[in-house]
Amino acid sequence: MLAFRRFERAIDSGIGRRKLGYLMIALIIAFFLWFPNDTSQSNYAKTVFISGFFYAIMSSSWALLAGIAGQFSFGHMAFMGIGAYVAGLIARDGVAFAMLGVNITPESISSLGAIIIGTVAAGAVGLVIGWLLLRLRSAYLALFTIAFSELFRIIMLTEYDYTGGSNGLSLRPLLQIADVNAARQVEYYLMFGLLIVCLLALYWVANSPIGLFLRAMREDEDAASALGVNVVRYKILVFVFTSMIVGFAGAIFYSDVGSERIIPEQLEILQMSLIIAYAVIGGMESLIGAAAGAFISRYLLEAMRQVVISLPFGLTTADGSDAFVWDTGYWRFALFGVVMVFTLRYMRNGLLYPIITWFSGRDIAMKETVSIRESDDDEGAAPTEADDE
Amino acid sequence: MKRISLFISILALLALTALLPTGAVYADGHCEFAEDSIKIGGLVPLSAPGTVAGGVAMSWAINRAADDINAACGVAIDGVNYAIEIVIGDSEGSPERGQAVVERFILEDEVDAVTGVYHSAVGLATMGMLDENRIPTVFSEPWNDNVSANGIMEYDGRPPRNADGVDHVFRVSPASSMVGSVVVDWLLDLGVGNVVIIAENTDYGQPAAADELARFEAAGATVTQINVELGTEDFVPILSRIQASAETPDVVRVIVTGETSFNLTQQMAELGIAPTEDTICVTNQVAFQSEQYWQNVPDGNYCAFNRVGIIPSLFSDTAVELNEAYFEEFEDIVPSYAMASYDAVWIIADGMARAGSMSDGAAIVAAIETTDLDLSQGRYYFEYGNHNPDLPEGTPAFMWHQWPDPVVTMMQYFEQGQSSLDAAVIFPVVYQTHGSSYIAPGTSP
Repeated sequence: MLAFRRFERAIDSGIGRRKLGYLMIALIIAFFLWFPNDTSQSNYAKTVFISGFFYAIMSSSWALLAGIAGQFSFGHMAFMGIGAYVAGLIARDGVAFAMLGVNITPESISSLGAIIIGTVAAGAVGLVIGWLLLRLRSAYLALFTIAFSELFRIIMLTEYDYTGGSNGLSLRPLLQIADVNAARQVEYYLMFGLLIVCLLALYWVANSPIGLFLRAMREDEDAASALGVNVVRYKILVFVFTSMIVGFAGAIFYSDVGSERIIPEQLEILQMSLIIAYAVIGGMESLIGAAAGAFISRYLLEAMRQVVISLPFGLTTADGSDAFVWDTGYWRFALFGVVMVFTLRYMRNGLLYPIITWFSGRDIAMKETVSIRESDDDEGAAPTEADDE
Repeated sequence: MKRISLFISILALLALTALLPTGAVYADGHCEFAEDSIKIGGLVPLSAPGTVAGGVAMSWAINRAADDINAACGVAIDGVNYAIEIVIGDSEGSPERGQAVVERFILEDEVDAVTGVYHSAVGLATMGMLDENRIPTVFSEPWNDNVSANGIMEYDGRPPRNADGVDHVFRVSPASSMVGSVVVDWLLDLGVGNVVIIAENTDYGQPAAADELARFEAAGATVTQINVELGTEDFVPILSRIQASAETPDVVRVIVTGETSFNLTQQMAELGIAPTEDTICVTNQVAFQSEQYWQNVPDGNYCAFNRVGIIPSLFSDTAVELNEAYFEEFEDIVPSYAMASYDAVWIIADGMARAGSMSDGAAIVAAIETTDLDLSQGRYYFEYGNHNPDLPEGTPAFMWHQWPDPVVTMMQYFEQGQSSLDAAVIFPVVYQTHGSSYIAPGTSP
């Protein structure tokens, strides 16, 4: 502990924690940029990273919606699915809007064009749901988005003539690169670039005046409204914004960048709960924490498919092997659950929160209302509606 | 307090990082084996949203096959015995994960062949990848017609796998169309003309109903299709419509799974719609689980049902042994996908032995195309491949690299509370156990 305190003092009097934090971020980005050029890494490792980047986008955007804006939506995977399915169907079948005189044929639209239409569709559905529901308290949003997600999944499952049902829908590939290694390299950078752009966009929103309004609304909608914040407008805005981000990410990912087809099972509540779990483990109120939580969790869940521990000192197992094989493939989600329970019980701001806070400096804690709520609890909780009654 | 939290978080991350893989596993055996082993990847669903029960059974069967082959001194190539090492990968029933696991098989585990796959979506997503990487593959459960048809036909914008002269993908499970045709062929043989299909509103029920409807109509039968939601408990309104129709149907065909299927069949029997002297009852294949069937459908005697996979009364010695081992492990009758997975490993091993190589994909494919092996599900061979590339007019494209004889039978109960092991096999004729294509209610075979 003493050594750590000395280390802290040395950092504070030297480069400073914040600068050290920026340096760390720069190093991490440099690592991710260098990684695909490491010839010892196979395409499989890149695939695991690509999947990690995708789930990092999903988790961090959910962190903005739920952690910062306080809107507990369970529809994130459904909006991702809308983006992917609409992009896939438009690229395959085209679409005609007779009233607008627009006729998009499969031949006339590029993969990127279809992806953009998918993104707009996700945003449009988000707008309708937001307009209908975000006037209500958050419990209704949670209930409705659970129902909406299931409804959307069942429609995708049963309209098999159009969507392929459980066989899935194959999206038109975004990239046409014949060489597999080169293609994987480009896919890697594309998904990593998308993660960086999304994080910057989310960060910009979270740290703009809109972000302050969102935090104010999360803490007390009535107070925020009384101070002039147009609560409904900002709720809808952040809902549509995050819907479009995940719709775009989903359409890109399933256009043969991360996977060549999307299936309705990907939209199940179970998958949504994983996104939430990643955000909780990383830190719901920190965009970088949620993204890192998702990436690290995905990586470890993949790595834990089978663990082999080489035994020291010439020790052998009962069958004479010098390696102990633990088939964690069956247990990895149970271990994940243990980490989740630990996080919720002892580190409600996420496993990574203390690290991020340390690097960010003490002042960031002022924004983190879970800490404030915890201290409120210690000193006697703030008045609630129940107290009023 | 915050420092303690920081330490805890670092410790938690370090603890998780310590679980990273640090080595590889290799097989062992009592025979003298070469140092190298033959690696076969088993791609099966072992976590949600995949069908875990199916994946566990397939994984068990794949490992069991490797154990049996190794116990018989492995695969002999040029006078040297090679042990088989199985690498199991969890597809999670997802195309994305399936693709990633196949990539791991090829690049990290460096497998020589692949088998398994439960979900068609995973098969469709990985088959191109396996072929491009020249990995001989024998799928053991995906049913989608295009899994084998893509060998010679374009699918989803992808050229036929055999365009370069070698298609590395085979299938020993039935194609969807093969399953649907058995029910229809049997009923048409019986001369039915007025059919009612009750189908669940899912991607299982709707395509199956559409397929059967098209076959019946092509044969000139009149078909009424009624769709129901899974989980419905009261079918009286639907069944009353059937009762009220002017013409009594010749058959009521139930394409509904699980508990819902039991409810529907029982209510159908209680109302006297089927099975009767005039109307044949064809319920879902879940009726094979006789204990549950009789608990839920006590009036369901004389109902017929289809069954995918060889039936216990026709088990060969290999199948009996496999079934006993499976029963010891899971206390249930070995399912068809476990038998197919077991057989697939033997087919690959046999192909490698005859090709004289464990790495020459083209040679192994050529050897597998000429397979002639008796295994747990019967005699394996592939009628169409590069050894016999021209499919006759009218032969569907899914017969390419497809085992033509997966056993799909029609069975019928003829005694109250009867075990499915004793139920009569009524179709196809070659598998009949009681010399009858249909046992009329109130009679005995």
